[in-house]
Amino acid sequence: MPKIKPRIPMGEQPPMERITNFNSVPYGYTEDQAVEEAARCIQCKKPRCEPACPVTIGIKEMNLLIAERKFKEAYLLVKEDNAFPACSGRVCPQEKQCEGACILEKFDQPIAIGKLEAFIADWGRTHKVEVEEIKANNEDKHIAIVGSGPAGLACAAECRRYGYAVTIYETLHKAGGVLVYGIPEFRLPKAIVEKEIEHLEEMGVKIELNHTVGQNIYYYELVSQNDAVFLAMGAGAPKFMGIPGENPMDNVYSSNEFLIRANLMKAYKFPEWDTPINCGNKVAVIGAGNVAMDAARTAKRLGANEVHIIYRRTKEQAPARKEELHHALEEGIIFHELVNPIKFHGDDDGFIDYMELTRMELVEGEDGRISPKPIEGSTFYMECDTVIEALGTVPNRLFLDRAPDIERDDRGVIIIDENHMTSVEGTFAGGDASSGAATVIKALGEGKRAARAIHAYISTHDTSHRQEVQRVEV
Amino acid sequence: MSFDITKMIDLDTMDFLVDVEAPEIVERFHPGQFVMLMTRKEGERIPMSVMKAENGKLTMFIRKLGKTSKELRDGMTRFENVIGPLGHGIEEKVYGNVVVVSDAVCGQAENYAICEALSKIEGNRITSIQTFPSKKEIYPEDYLTTELVDKHIITTEDGSFGEEGSYIVPLQKMIDEGEEIDFVFGGGKLPTMKAVSTVLAKNNIDNLFTTRQMMVDGSGMCGACRLYIDGEMKLACVDGPMFDSRKVNWDKAIKRYHMFKKKEKEANDYYEAHKGGCGQCQK
Repeated sequence: MPKIKPRIPMGEQPPMERITNFNSVPYGYTEDQAVEEAARCIQCKKPRCEPACPVTIGIKEMNLLIAERKFKEAYLLVKEDNAFPACSGRVCPQEKQCEGACILEKFDQPIAIGKLEAFIADWGRTHKVEVEEIKANNEDKHIAIVGSGPAGLACAAECRRYGYAVTIYETLHKAGGVLVYGIPEFRLPKAIVEKEIEHLEEMGVKIELNHTVGQNIYYYELVSQNDAVFLAMGAGAPKFMGIPGENPMDNVYSSNEFLIRANLMKAYKFPEWDTPINCGNKVAVIGAGNVAMDAARTAKRLGANEVHIIYRRTKEQAPARKEELHHALEEGIIFHELVNPIKFHGDDDGFIDYMELTRMELVEGEDGRISPKPIEGSTFYMECDTVIEALGTVPNRLFLDRAPDIERDDRGVIIIDENHMTSVEGTFAGGDASSGAATVIKALGEGKRAARAIHAYISTHDTSHRQEVQRVEV
Repeated sequence: MSFDITKMIDLDTMDFLVDVEAPEIVERFHPGQFVMLMTRKEGERIPMSVMKAENGKLTMFIRKLGKTSKELRDGMTRFENVIGPLGHGIEEKVYGNVVVVSDAVCGQAENYAICEALSKIEGNRITSIQTFPSKKEIYPEDYLTTELVDKHIITTEDGSFGEEGSYIVPLQKMIDEGEEIDFVFGGGKLPTMKAVSTVLAKNNIDNLFTTRQMMVDGSGMCGACRLYIDGEMKLACVDGPMFDSRKVNWDKAIKRYHMFKKKEKEANDYYEAHKGGCGQCQK
């Protein structure tokens, strides 16, 4: 067995310290650490990591350049393929992508590609490296992008590189979508997101905040004023369990509400900031994805004594990023596997008091699929004063109801062809809006690919007679 | 975008009147819709009812109790952000014999906006009933619906002016006297809406009431304003804010409205303690 140098460990705030603040958990690699880690890359002839990356970053070359201390070159290389490396380096599920494919994974020591990506992104930003980006002048052609989350941002960056005039319409008062309202500060510092978005604005992308397409600006207006429209409004509507006693009960939140209060509205700074949040002492988070981990760890930082993750499958099946689950457990979050709430019980004032749960077992169905089934007679109770339901999200009806020409499936997910075009010519879609709920990096990749398709479309079609679509107002 | 406060009038009651510059919103506003207001960068997104949207300005009533009104009184000259219009507006059409009822600050604004829109449409006969806590709290004439409607009724909760009780008292009287009512619009306090819903159900009168619920984003993302309408979950922000009062589960809506009571007091106390004084805490 060959001797494999172990990964350079990342410095982190110790668990007991970090649960008292919202600061970033990892400190980030120093230059020397990054060089040493990148030098571990064995420079495979056929790198397996690159095809496993949704935006196909030149990982092998990035590692080589970092190892040679050519940080500027490495930064420019990464930026070429990914306009938001500081974000993706921090939030990608690398163990399922690049690092999972890394040959050194076999020895349990894959290259820390995500951490190197974040390092080089931070280096480029703090050293104010200029990126020559706009390749042509197509300012007479206009592209409207709906939503400023990862898909919209990536599409905007790429379209701008082709020289188009790009305007993003964002519902909230801050751009960034899930990067600002969903993912907490301790995982993705907001100053970093702001910088990456500022850079986009410096490139000439216009961002119209407080504009909800379908509500205070209409889809047909965008279609009639632009050469192409890209729909990237995500899957923003929360799902609830729909169990008895649930709704609306006080201190039962959707993960969206809990995280929007905490992140976007900075409720952890209440009352200095105005938005309140009630986070009790015994918090139950339902679900085990990244959002569930974010909510659980946020609750811990808001002062909860006990935070419980309630999951109907096993811990191994938890869809959360490995590092998040690991960090959560380190922070004292208690994981309950194979359990499912069946009823909520409130106190006299309407606040959640305790949950009724059932134990689950994994059963193989006739179709061979293994799914959790309740075990009869296994009901038990659990006291709690706050419940956060992190069950995933579905597309927001608000827009779709007012754009009837756009075909979507019965879940409200927009149907697109292989070029990201919807059923309306000239209108494209990407990210969670057309794929259901997925990851930040997948959305970044789709935004970029859609931009290429949009460029191809505008280059080959006469868009001067713009598509007429049904006029629907509120 | 600058949301300058162009007018602020102390109504010499529980409420202020505020005009804010927001031409983009005014252009697209329909009565019945609402806006969200952030007074400062650190502010909450507060859903607000709109009394008037004209000449590029939105007119709103603001209750003197909360922190927002304190900020106004302490010299705020512009808002950080006004977002909207949000929610569905009313259908501006002929309803026939319409009654518009309201209590509480938000309800009075909605009452005015709806009466003004409907009064411009030939064929509507409008009765507006406005309820105030007492004679002292009645708005000055200019801000009541008196001039807009065919019949204007004021009631006070303590009986110090007009009839004693809520808007339900004259409404019930109209019904008892055999008046054919085609439609009722209303808004204000949740318990009154709950009470009126049974009257409307009993007499089978079509209606829309603005369900005041707490909100965060106001665009269907957070689910904070979820309500049960005929047993089905709806969001006040994107499906409403107006619903048929007969179908709303009012008990749940009322309980939920108090979720952040304690926090409101905390915010108020903090504001009072930090608004001037030593200056250490001021940014």
